[in-house]
Amino acid sequence: MLAAVIAVCALTFGYGYAGAQSLEAMLDGALVPSAAPALLGPITEGGRVGWACKPEQVAGAGSWQNAELPQP
Amino acid sequence: MRRSWLALALVIFAASAPHARAQMYPRATPVPRTTSIPALRALATEREVVERFHLGLSAEARGDWQPAAAEFERIIALDPPEPQNSTARYDLAIAYANLHRLDDAARQLQAAIARDSGFLAAMANLIAVDLSRGDLRDARAMADRFVASAPDSARALYERGLVALRSGDTATAENDFGRLLHANPAYAVAHYDLGLAQARTNRYASAEQEFQLAVDLAPGYARARFALGTVLLREGKRAQARAAFESVASDSASDPALRNLAVAMRDAIKAR
Repeated sequence: MLAAVIAVCALTFGYGYAGAQSLEAMLDGALVPSAAPALLGPITEGGRVGWACKPEQVAGAGSWQNAELPQP
Repeated sequence: MRRSWLALALVIFAASAPHARAQMYPRATPVPRTTSIPALRALATEREVVERFHLGLSAEARGDWQPAAAEFERIIALDPPEPQNSTARYDLAIAYANLHRLDDAARQLQAAIARDSGFLAAMANLIAVDLSRGDLRDARAMADRFVASAPDSARALYERGLVALRSGDTATAENDFGRLLHANPAYAVAHYDLGLAQARTNRYASAEQEFQLAVDLAPGYARARFALGTVLLREGKRAQARAAFESVASDSASDPALRNLAVAMRDAIKAR
């Protein structure tokens, strides 16, 4: 957040001095990878091998929806 | 005639009732048929483990992480056999992660995987914990293992791609997000990450294509639209870049920091 505010201030008030190089650096800083997925849920005392172990099924799922990956 | 049908129905009902009861209720806890002290102690420990699992899971469901951690810590102290040992460590790691004890969470997940080498859910969570605590080296080692154990797992490919992207290994990131998209072409986030890997190796035309696909699939995906603006700018397509930044700037649902940056970019392009 702070970095973004500094970037905006630099762009708004000091763009004439900042030049093309700092603009590129700011753009690079804004291009961050997507978020890590949320933790998979708990497992009962039966362990991961049981047919109803959802976290284990989610971990091995081939489709992104079943794998509970981040939404856009 | 009518009475005979009624009698038949009653006979069927009476015959099926014991079976139905057996399906509806779990079997009763067996009465210990031993007087051996070690055997009785083992049965008591077994029962305590199960009861503590129930208490710990209930606490986790309520978001009471400290009591949950205490239950799973006690189970581990009782040293139950597999699969309960690795499962208790896995559940304890979830509680620790929510208590922001990330190093402790990682240790429990590592111990769980050491006891059960095919524990995919533990691998997935360990990578997420490692990413949170910034341990990209451990995350990468576990991500390699996760992909080797489950090559078609969307989560394995996504997590390793993410670790690779964060650690600058754009080749692996591109490979993993490409494989993920091969099975899931409509997953906008993977298009975004693939575009990012391509942009980092200055392949702006390919990156533009991926970012465009991401926003086509998810029009409200502000970060992908912002990324599209940056590659368009680098390609010298200033009007299109400005339109992309304008779109992010006018989207009230997007992240305020990103929106402010988009406003600045839009105005900077106008000013030049």
